[in-house]
Amino acid sequence: MKDYIEKVIKPKLQGDGGEIDFLSHEDGILTVLLQGECSKCLIVERCIAWIEGEILRDKGERVRIIAQKKKPFFWDKD
Amino acid sequence: MAHIKVVRRSMRPEEWTDLRFGWLKRYIYEEKYEIENLKVRDARQTSEMQYEYYPEGWRELRRGDMYFTPDGTAFFDAEVKIPRHLKDKELWLSLKTAAEIIVKVNGRYVGGVDPNRDRILLTPYIDSDVLHFEMEGYNRSKPDDERNPESLSVRGCRQIFEGAYLATVNHTVLDLVYDLELLLDIAKSELFNEDYRSFLNREINNALNLIDFDELKNEDVAKAKKYVDDVIYANDDYKGNGDVALIAHSHLDIAYYWRRIHSVQKNLRTVLIQLRLMDRYPDFKYTHTQAYTYEMLEKYYPDVFEELKEKVAKGQFEPVGAMYVEPDCNIPAAESLIRQFMYGQHYFREKFGMTVKNCWLPDVFGNSWILPQILKKSGVDYFVSNKMSTWNDTNRFPHNNFIWKGIDGSEVYACVPPTHFITWNMPSQIQENWEAYQDKNQGGQTMSMFGYGDGGSGCTEEMIEVMHRFNKLSVMPKTEHIGGQEFLEKNLKDNKNLAKWDGDLYLEMHRGTFTTKSRMKRYNRQLEYKLREAEIISTLRHLKGEEYPAGEIRELYKRLLINQFHDILPGSHITPVYRDAMADYEEIDQKLDRIIGTGSRYFNSLNFTRKHLAFIPDEKGDSTRYGKKGNWLIPYLPALSSGEIKKEEYKDEWITVGEKVITPFYEIGFNPDGSINSLYDRELDREWVKGEFNKLKLYKDNPGVYDAWDILPNYTDREIEFKVVSPLEVIEKNSEAVSFACTLATDKSEWKRIIRVFRQSRGIEVENVVDWNERHVLAKAQFDCNVLTRKAVCDTSAGFTERETHRNTTWQQARFEVCHHKWVDMAETDGGIALINDSKYGVGLLENSMSLSLLRATVRPDVNGDRGHHEFSYMIYPHGDDFIKAEINNIAYEYNIPLCKADVSGESIFGDLYMQTMKMSEKGDTVVVRLSEQNGKRGRIKLGKKVKLLNFLEDTVGEVDVIEYKPFEIITIGMESTAVVK
Repeated sequence: MKDYIEKVIKPKLQGDGGEIDFLSHEDGILTVLLQGECSKCLIVERCIAWIEGEILRDKGERVRIIAQKKKPFFWDKD
Repeated sequence: MAHIKVVRRSMRPEEWTDLRFGWLKRYIYEEKYEIENLKVRDARQTSEMQYEYYPEGWRELRRGDMYFTPDGTAFFDAEVKIPRHLKDKELWLSLKTAAEIIVKVNGRYVGGVDPNRDRILLTPYIDSDVLHFEMEGYNRSKPDDERNPESLSVRGCRQIFEGAYLATVNHTVLDLVYDLELLLDIAKSELFNEDYRSFLNREINNALNLIDFDELKNEDVAKAKKYVDDVIYANDDYKGNGDVALIAHSHLDIAYYWRRIHSVQKNLRTVLIQLRLMDRYPDFKYTHTQAYTYEMLEKYYPDVFEELKEKVAKGQFEPVGAMYVEPDCNIPAAESLIRQFMYGQHYFREKFGMTVKNCWLPDVFGNSWILPQILKKSGVDYFVSNKMSTWNDTNRFPHNNFIWKGIDGSEVYACVPPTHFITWNMPSQIQENWEAYQDKNQGGQTMSMFGYGDGGSGCTEEMIEVMHRFNKLSVMPKTEHIGGQEFLEKNLKDNKNLAKWDGDLYLEMHRGTFTTKSRMKRYNRQLEYKLREAEIISTLRHLKGEEYPAGEIRELYKRLLINQFHDILPGSHITPVYRDAMADYEEIDQKLDRIIGTGSRYFNSLNFTRKHLAFIPDEKGDSTRYGKKGNWLIPYLPALSSGEIKKEEYKDEWITVGEKVITPFYEIGFNPDGSINSLYDRELDREWVKGEFNKLKLYKDNPGVYDAWDILPNYTDREIEFKVVSPLEVIEKNSEAVSFACTLATDKSEWKRIIRVFRQSRGIEVENVVDWNERHVLAKAQFDCNVLTRKAVCDTSAGFTERETHRNTTWQQARFEVCHHKWVDMAETDGGIALINDSKYGVGLLENSMSLSLLRATVRPDVNGDRGHHEFSYMIYPHGDDFIKAEINNIAYEYNIPLCKADVSGESIFGDLYMQTMKMSEKGDTVVVRLSEQNGKRGRIKLGKKVKLLNFLEDTVGEVDVIEYKPFEIITIGMESTAVVK
């Protein structure tokens, strides 16, 4: 799963100025860290749902993603 | 008695107007027919015209469905039979989207939709009852214009499809909407007369009162429109002043929050939208930069390019800028900037039969003092750049229309428009431009650019429609919509009243871009010189009958120039842009190696004798540099010659390592961290250190939102301690050099410093090998010199510039971090210290201190900016005399241009001038030599034979047998080649 996030999902998010890092995957819960543009995206839940769908299609695995956002402090005013 | 604040919760009159205006906009479309058979296919772009498709293939796309994916391209397809009731009506495609969609109908490109526009006129393209829509959209989480609040509100990778429609427009409503757009902008702007705004608020209300919004009727809307004409437009009691030229433009970053491959479609969409506006508005003129974007359009969308050519011929579509791309103008060397013009102008000449007379760089982060000469000798008389007026953080740049005098004395007409290059042509923006304009009495009109940009997109119907109404408003400045060059010639040409600016156009912002993305800057430097090497060697071989790889060199040069774009080389971009650039650099590097080839002898491509110590790689060598074996030796190779070089045999002990390190030149007191507490010069009998010297310093570097761009003056507030993991010790010793090494570390990073002293060189080299994992940290090397001076001298790549080191006024205070090229020097009249680098550009100068900026660690736009492995070096070079007599510039060239093997040689007849390039002309019939005076001297070189004098476009401008040169002049000559170009 880590490999999939790093090699398949990450380049796509990076293409939009975002960033995703694998943190853990246990009991169907996939925890990821979102940075960059993803960390301040107002509709990131749609993207999270899409990633869940991609994982189901490509790996045949149903996961629930918990996304931790790490937003640089200078974006807090946004 | 307690004060009770009265809070008005009931609707104010202005809100009532806004509410009705919003309501009115709902009636812009008269009829809408939903396209229900739309199909979509998701993909991701992998190159300029190639895509990876998602396995789902084509699927139906219905209103309310989710569409687009991260970094995704979506293709749409639908065949629509025009319903009977819409036949013979003016028909539009209505598609509201957050993405950037290019629309083709029945095989023809008809336009584009994006967050700035949501409809396309179809009627001119309807040639049957059935419309076949083929659309391509690129999603963007980052809108290409964050200034448009509507763009901002819809950003995100996954969007909800709001439907696509065939539609008819109610022009009566639309006309009134444009009127109100215009009038409400004035009514809400404090820049306009308060009484007039009261008048507007009252009369707009009166006009809207003529419409029953419960049952909106066309005749009522027409009455309201007539009221606006008769009462508001007819009123001329309120007089505005000013004279503003409105120039249509769209700024297109060829890479930024998107990869270069995406700019191919961004450019197509932008161009298409402007062409369609030109179709509908014959008076509309638009300016478009960057020969590269034209090239891409021609290559991939030839039909649209033909249309563009027609509009160029009609004078509506105006190529501006002259350069190949809009490069950074701090970091690229002179020859790169010259090539930007040469390749750009050759393209514009070939395709449009025109030499562009202006340089158009709205967004670059400051402009080098060497530019005016480069412009003039590239057929360019005018310069346009916006940033200094709107982005300076300390001083207001004092001119907008002025003369810019370059380092060599060349002068160009310059325009720094008073406001941003992205506006939407609203009266308040035009008024703001006029009020900010500082040359009202002598500069003629002021330039106001309009059009969305950054990712292209450009002007909208709305911008043109409101513009057509400006002359009905007496309260506004006088406006004129004209072309870019037309503006420049009308207002600046032969204008004797213009003020003069003599110096670089330093931008008081974005000072971090001299340092961000260190690896790119190093590779760029290396490839600039490797291209020089390849051209010289290839030319000399060609003169002996070998084929000159003209096409290949041209392509490699262009690739390097693309990566000098002002959001690529400066480092202000996302991760994939960095990866693309590094892949390009590697490819250029490998291909240049193949062109250069090898030989049995070493070749000195410099037109002066190499007499300073150089590192020559050799597996059997007894020295190590960047982990590779080799020898330090003095080549003693004459100019443009090739020969064998041998290591000198030397057996005597030449260095003492004790409490002090004693070399033939110095007694050095080292600290465990590699810093130097004393550098006593045995030859000159003086101490060079006064404070911290060669001290590696780390600072918290938090510039805010402009993370990759800026270093703030408060960066010294928080210093981070380095731990000395292994103190300085000798690691290598031989007859020429002794290397000391120490390792410093933070919790995240490790920094190895290898410091070399030499038997035969005054230089002290510091090699840095860094595993860098910081966030928001700036690394600098600090040098507090025992030198009393008020100025430092910085290399510009084509001459030097003196920079004040005091902080007397805000102008010096703002320049706390400046750009230099290969070296910076701080000296008294009889000696000083130069810092020569192999890849650094940022330096801080304060009184007797120089702080060389080494690395940054930014998180926006690239979350991973500069993390990873780095290798770079600099050399501390104390010297007697001044930097010219000490030959610092020559030493810096030798330090930056490694010797390579090639069995070629040439004749050097160019005296003290630096041979910047030697190449075959673009036509292939002449040897072109470019010479650069870099020491601020005047002189004459007798050649003994006639040569052509060329400009930078390789046009012949004269014939000479004596070259007369003045300080900092760059001269190009052409010599006949007897060899045949194959």
